[in-house]
Amino acid sequence: MTFVEYTWLIPLLPIIGLILAAAFGRKTPEDGGYFVIGSVALACAMSLLVAYEFFTGDGTPVYASQVWIDLGTINGVQYQFEIGYYVDYLTALLLIVVSILCTLIVIYSLGYMHEEGDRKRRYYVEIALFITGMLGMVVASNYLEAFIFWEMMGLCSYLLIGFWYYKPSAAKAAKKAFLTTRIGDISFMLGIIALFGSFGTLNYHQLFDPAFTESFDVNYWMLLFAMLCFFGAAVGKSAQFPLHDWLPDAMEGPTTVSALIHAATMVKAGVYLVARSFPLMVHTPEVMIVIAVIGGFTAFFAATQALNNFNIKRVLAYSTISQLGFMFLALGCGGYIIATAGADEHLLEVGNTGYMAAIFHLMNHAFFKALLFLSAGAVIHAVHTEDMRKMGGLSKKLKITSLVMLIGALAISGIPPFSGFWSKDLVLESTIAAAGVNPWFWILYIAGTVTAFLTAFYMFRLWFMTFKGEESEAAHHAHEAPASMWVPLVILAIAATITGLFLLMPDGGLPAVIYTVSPEGLAIPGETLGLGWIEKFFTAWPTYVSLAMAVFGIGVAYLAYYKKTLSMAFYTKGGNKRIYDVLQRRYYFPEFYDYVGEKGMYGLARLVDFIDRKVVDGVVNAIAAVAVGSSGRFRKAQTGMTQTYAAVVVAAVSVILVLLYIFAGVR
Amino acid sequence: MIPQEYFLVLSGILFAIGAFGVLTRKNAIVVLMCVEIMLNAANINFVTFSVFSGGAAGQVFALFSIAIAAAEVAVGLAILLNLQKLQDTIELQDLNLLRW
Repeated sequence: MTFVEYTWLIPLLPIIGLILAAAFGRKTPEDGGYFVIGSVALACAMSLLVAYEFFTGDGTPVYASQVWIDLGTINGVQYQFEIGYYVDYLTALLLIVVSILCTLIVIYSLGYMHEEGDRKRRYYVEIALFITGMLGMVVASNYLEAFIFWEMMGLCSYLLIGFWYYKPSAAKAAKKAFLTTRIGDISFMLGIIALFGSFGTLNYHQLFDPAFTESFDVNYWMLLFAMLCFFGAAVGKSAQFPLHDWLPDAMEGPTTVSALIHAATMVKAGVYLVARSFPLMVHTPEVMIVIAVIGGFTAFFAATQALNNFNIKRVLAYSTISQLGFMFLALGCGGYIIATAGADEHLLEVGNTGYMAAIFHLMNHAFFKALLFLSAGAVIHAVHTEDMRKMGGLSKKLKITSLVMLIGALAISGIPPFSGFWSKDLVLESTIAAAGVNPWFWILYIAGTVTAFLTAFYMFRLWFMTFKGEESEAAHHAHEAPASMWVPLVILAIAATITGLFLLMPDGGLPAVIYTVSPEGLAIPGETLGLGWIEKFFTAWPTYVSLAMAVFGIGVAYLAYYKKTLSMAFYTKGGNKRIYDVLQRRYYFPEFYDYVGEKGMYGLARLVDFIDRKVVDGVVNAIAAVAVGSSGRFRKAQTGMTQTYAAVVVAAVSVILVLLYIFAGVR
Repeated sequence: MIPQEYFLVLSGILFAIGAFGVLTRKNAIVVLMCVEIMLNAANINFVTFSVFSGGAAGQVFALFSIAIAAAEVAVGLAILLNLQKLQDTIELQDLNLLRW
C-alpha cells in the first residue's frame, strides 16, 4: 500500500468534520470544534505521510484522474474534464505547510473563539469548508478542478470576513473582498477557456509534458493570453496591485481567519497558481516581466502604507501584501531567466534558484506570518482593542506572546538565522541575477532592498508600540492567553526559526527538489550548495546591504518608538504632512474603487438599461404597432354586405376557371 | 333529336341570369328566387348528362335536388319573415350589422 494513492482523501477529511460539526455541533462541547480539529489533524497526518513518501521516492509526479464530463470529440480532439489528484514536489511541500498551519490555527481557535457562543458552530463549519478548498486546490489534477476549489475558498473568505455580519464595516469588507477577488476569478475562467480551447486539455500531466511544448509555439498568442489571465487571477487572490485593497479591510474578520486565510494560506493560492503554471509560463518571457514588475512594485507600495497605520492587524495585512509581492518578484525574475536562458545550464540553475526562492519564501512567510497574526490575536484577546496607541507595555503581562512575536518580527525583517533572512536574500539575489540578463531589473532590486528597510521599520514599530513603553490602561487587566492559544504560538515560533535551515540540508535541501522545466524541457535543479549556502551568502555584498537595511530599520524604530529620541511627529509635522495623509488614506484607493464603481459600473448599467428600454422594448413595441395599424386597415374589407362577399366568390371562381383554362389545359 | 349543346347553353344562360340577380338585386326575396334559378340550371345539367350518357342516376339526383331546394326555400322564407319582423326591411344593403 502506498499513501500517495490515497491523496484524494486529504481534501475529503475536513468535509467529514464539517458534516459532523454541522449535524451534531449543538450537542457537543465547543459547538463541533473538536470534530473539525480531529478531521483536520487526520488530514494533516495524511498529508505528512503523502509528503514523506513522495520526498523519499524518485520524484516523478504521481497522478490519477477520472473522466468527470465527456464533451465528445470535435475535429479529432477528445474534450474531457477530469477530476483527480496530481502530486509533485510543489504539491507535497504545500501539503505540509498548509495542513500543519490549518491544524495549529484550528486548535488556536478553540481558545480564541471560546466566547463566541452560538456562532461558533458556523465558524467551525466554514473554516472546515475553507480547509477543504485549500487542500483540494493544492492536490487538484487539472485547472478546472483547481478553479472549483479556488472558488470554494473565495466563498469561505467572504463568509468568514463577514463573520460578525451585524457590524456594518465587516459586512462591507466581506462584500469588497468578494467583488474584488471576483475580478481575478473571471480572469482565471478566461484563462481556462483559452487554454482548453487552444490545447484541448487542462490536465497538468499533459500540459507539463515536455513533448507537449510544440503546440505552444503554434498557438503562442493564446498561451500568452491564458498565462496573463492566470496571473490576473493570482493578482486578485493574492491581493497584488491594483486589486490589493480588499486585504486590509479583510481584517474585519476574526484574527484566526486573518491568520489562516488572509496571511498563511488562501492568499498564497495565487502564488501557488503561478508556480504551478510555471512549466507553461516559462514559454512567455513577457508574462514573466509583468509578474516581476507587479510583484516588485506591490512589495514596495504596500510596505509604505504599513508605516503609519495604527491598527495592529492592518499593519500585518499590508506586510502580507508586501511579502506576497516578494514572492511574485522572485517568480518573475527566476522565470524570466529560465525563459531567456535557452539551453544554458548555468542560467537555468540560477533561474530555478529564483523559482525555489519564491516557494521557499512562501513556506517561511506562511509560518512567521501565521505566528505574527496569532500573536496579534493573543494581544487583542488580552486587551480587547486593535489600536496600537492603546496598547504599550504589554511585555510584562504577555511574556510568551511578546517573545514569540519578537521571533516573528526578526524573521520577517530578515535577521539571521531566522527563516525570513534566507528566503528574502534569495529573492533579492534572483533580482540581481535577472538584472544580469536585463539591466532594468536593477530597479526591482532597489525596490526590494528599500522594502526590506521599510519592513524592518514597521515591524519593530509595531512591536515596540505594543509591548514596550509605558504601561497603558488596557495593559493593567491583560492576562496571558490559554494553553490552546500559546502552545500553537510556540510551535509556530520554532517553525519560524528553523524552516530557513531547509536550504542548508544535505543532498541539496530545497533547491534539489523545487524546480521547474525550461521551454526546451530541461529540468535542472537550482544551486544545490547545502552548507555552501552560508559561504555564498556571507561572501556576497547584497547580503550585507539587506542586513544593513534591516538593522537600520530596526534601529530607527528603536530610536523613535522605544527611546523616543527620534520624534516621528517632527518629520511628519504632527501628521499634517501631505504624504502622511496620502498613506493614511491608502493612496486614495478606496475612493478610486468607488469612482470606478460609480462611473464605470453605474455607467455600464445605465447603458444596459438604455438598450433594454429603448432597443429591446422598442423592437417589441414596433412589431405590435405594425400589427395594430395593419389590422385597422385590413378590417375595412369586412363590409357586412352579403352581396359583396358573393361578388368576391364569383369573381374568384371566374378567375380560377380562366386560369385553369389557360395554364392547366382544362377544356 | 335536339343536340346536347343546346341544353348546356340553356343551363349556362340560366346560371348566369341567376348569378347576376343574386349579385345585383336589392330585395332579398328576388335574391332567393335567383338562387332557385341557379339551382334549376344545375338540375338541367343533371338531366342532360343523364339522358345523353344512358343512365337514370342523374334524373334521380335532379329529383333529390328539387326536394332539397323546396326545403331550402322554406328555410329562406322563414328567415326573411323574421327579418321583416325585427328590422322592418328585407333590403339587403340595409342588413350590414356583421361588419367591422
